[in-house]
Order: sequence, then C-alpha cells, then structure tokens
Amino acid sequence: MEKLSYQDVNHHVIDRCKSGDNRAQYELYKLYSKAMFNVSMRIINDYAEAEDVLQEAFLSAFKNLQSYKAEASFGSWLKKIVVNASINAIRKRRSELVPMDERVVGEVADEAYEDDSEWQVEKVRRAIQQLPDGYRVVLSLYLLEGYDHAEIGEVLGITESTSKSQYSRAKKKLLEIMKEPQFAV
Amino acid sequence: MEDKLKKFVDEHRDEFDVFEPRTELWQNICEELPQKRKTAKVISIKFGDSASFSANSMFMRIAAAIVLLVGCGLTLFLMKSNAPEAGNTIAATTAPPVNNIAPELAEVEAYYVSQIKEKKSKLSEYDLKVLGLDDQQEIDQELARLDSSYVQLKKQLYTTPNTDEIVGALIQNLQIRIRVLNRQLEVLQRLEQINEQPDLEPQKDETTNV
Repeated sequence: MEKLSYQDVNHHVIDRCKSGDNRAQYELYKLYSKAMFNVSMRIINDYAEAEDVLQEAFLSAFKNLQSYKAEASFGSWLKKIVVNASINAIRKRRSELVPMDERVVGEVADEAYEDDSEWQVEKVRRAIQQLPDGYRVVLSLYLLEGYDHAEIGEVLGITESTSKSQYSRAKKKLLEIMKEPQFAV
Repeated sequence: MEDKLKKFVDEHRDEFDVFEPRTELWQNICEELPQKRKTAKVISIKFGDSASFSANSMFMRIAAAIVLLVGCGLTLFLMKSNAPEAGNTIAATTAPPVNNIAPELAEVEAYYVSQIKEKKSKLSEYDLKVLGLDDQQEIDQELARLDSSYVQLKKQLYTTPNTDEIVGALIQNLQIRIRVLNRQLEVLQRLEQINEQPDLEPQKDETTNV
C-alpha cells in the first residue's frame, strides 16, 4: 500500500519531468527546494555552498530521474542525493569529517542534564549551527533528517557505534552551548 | 533512556526549516538543464507562436507529427488510388464510377476522411479509463451508425437521378462525424485539465516527513 501511495503523490509531475518538461521540473523544484535547502544548510552551514549543492543535487536528480523507480517517496530519494552531495561538499572543505578520537569509541560520560524547560526552536537551531562540523553533521542527520545510527555510519563511512558516541558528544556540547550566558536569547 | 532533545526536535520539526534559497537559483538550474531539442522548433516557425500551447510540448510534438503523417499519407493514398478498397475505417471509399456521377465527391471525401482520422488519432491519445470516461462506447455506436447510413447513401448514389441531394447528405454525414469527435475531444481536454489540477498543489506532508 505504501508503495502505491508514493506513486500517487507526484507521479504525474515526475513522469512529465522524465520527458524533459520544464514546467514539471519547476513544480518539483518548488515543492522540494526549501526542505532540501535546509537539509543542505544544516550539513554545510554555509549559505552559498548550500545553494551550490542544492543546484547540483537538482540537476543530478533531473538527469537521473530515469533511475528513480518509485520504491521510496520522491522526497526521500531526492534527500539522499542532497545529503550525499552536502557531505561531499563539506569533505572537500575538511579532510576528515569525524576526526575526533575515533579510537575512544567507549561510552561517553553520562548524559548532561537535559533541562527542556528553556528550549526554544530558534535557540536550539542556532546552537546546532555553532557545533563543529563533525558534531553538527551527525547530530543533524540523527535529530532532523531522521537517519538512524546505522544509516549515518553508512553515509559518513564510520561505524554505527562511532555515530552513536559522536551523537552523545554532540548533544552534550550542544547543551553546553545553550547554557552559555551570551547565548541566552 | 529518553532522549528529550530528540523528542523536542521531533515535535517542532517544521520550525527548523528556516532557510530559503534565493529565487534566482531556479534560473541557474534552468540554464544548466539540457534543453530538450530546441532545434525541433524549426517546425514551429511555421505556426508562429505555437509555443504558447505547448502544454506538453514533447508529447504534443510527437502527436502532431503522427497526425500529420497519417493525414498526409491518407490523403495521398486516397487521391492517388481510386481503388475500390482503401481499407480504412470509413466505409465510404471511392468507387470508380463516383468520378463520373459526382466528381467533386472524391475530393471532399478525402478531405473529411483525413480530418476524421486526425481527430480519431487525437482521441486515442487519451487514456479513457484514466480520465474516468465510460461513454466512449456510445460514441463508437454513433459513429458506426453514421458509417452504415453513409454506405447506404453511397449505394443510392448509383441508382438515383438526383445526385446533388445525396452528395449533400453524404457530406453532412461526414460533418456530423467530425462534430461528434470534436465534442468528445473537448470533453476529454476539459477532463484532463481538471485531473491535472491536484498535482499543482504542494504536497507539504510528504516533503517534511521524509
């Protein structure tokens, strides 16, 4: 059933795109560009670079649309392209995405106390932007893009447990950032 | 252990999408998209600004090409051969004596036959089931009725002295067919427009849930 409903949503537009219909391509772009741009923005944390990636991702999606077989929703197919392109872009910038002591895979110290009473979306969002690349990517993929640690490991070329510990560290750091006095909204 | 942060983010997922790309970005993307056969527009010079109706330009082009080919081929075929059996859907094929009785009929007939053929091929491009139209059978019956009365008229043509009247009736018969087909086409076009509408609305849910 899932499969069917995926097809129903956009398959008219997608079919028209496959035949190179410019207006259909624009429709898809309108539908997905904002969400995809935010995915890219969270990983890269740079407006201009995120735009480049978005452009590259859409071009590649339109070019490879024939290979989209409607097994998943078009959105998740496109998102995979965007995530991969974003990670490649940030890799170019930095040689290692997760350099922080890979060897210490052991458990991270206990969770920092999560006082959610003062959380606000804007505050959390800005704090995420303050995280170093390696932390931010893992944390964003896990929290916002709905990837699990196995998927994050796959896409970043690290192990599942590294992803887990990386996430714990990232979260700890995030909570610290939010506690900084100058960060109070 | 509960991940409060994850829970918090999940609850406010939509609010985290705060950025938007510049509107010009689409322009950039558009410029790099492979332009589908711009050269094919050579044809469109003839039709002036036919570009404006290119709703499904590629599709329309192919359709137009097929219609044109079929039309031309048929016309040529009918003009060239006065063969008694042109072997197509319309029973009204020009028998040799018609040229003596009503010389203008052959030409008129060829014209209408090509018109009807064209409409029919346009009609066949619509997937009737998809559009939820099931009165196609009625139309087929109507056309079949017209076709058989045409055959009868044609027979009378050889036996009646008053050929003008029958030729008139024959032409009228052909015109009715075209009208029937036109109306059907209109209905289908309107249906198609209606069916396409829902696609234009953004499917917000899908985008944000993935």
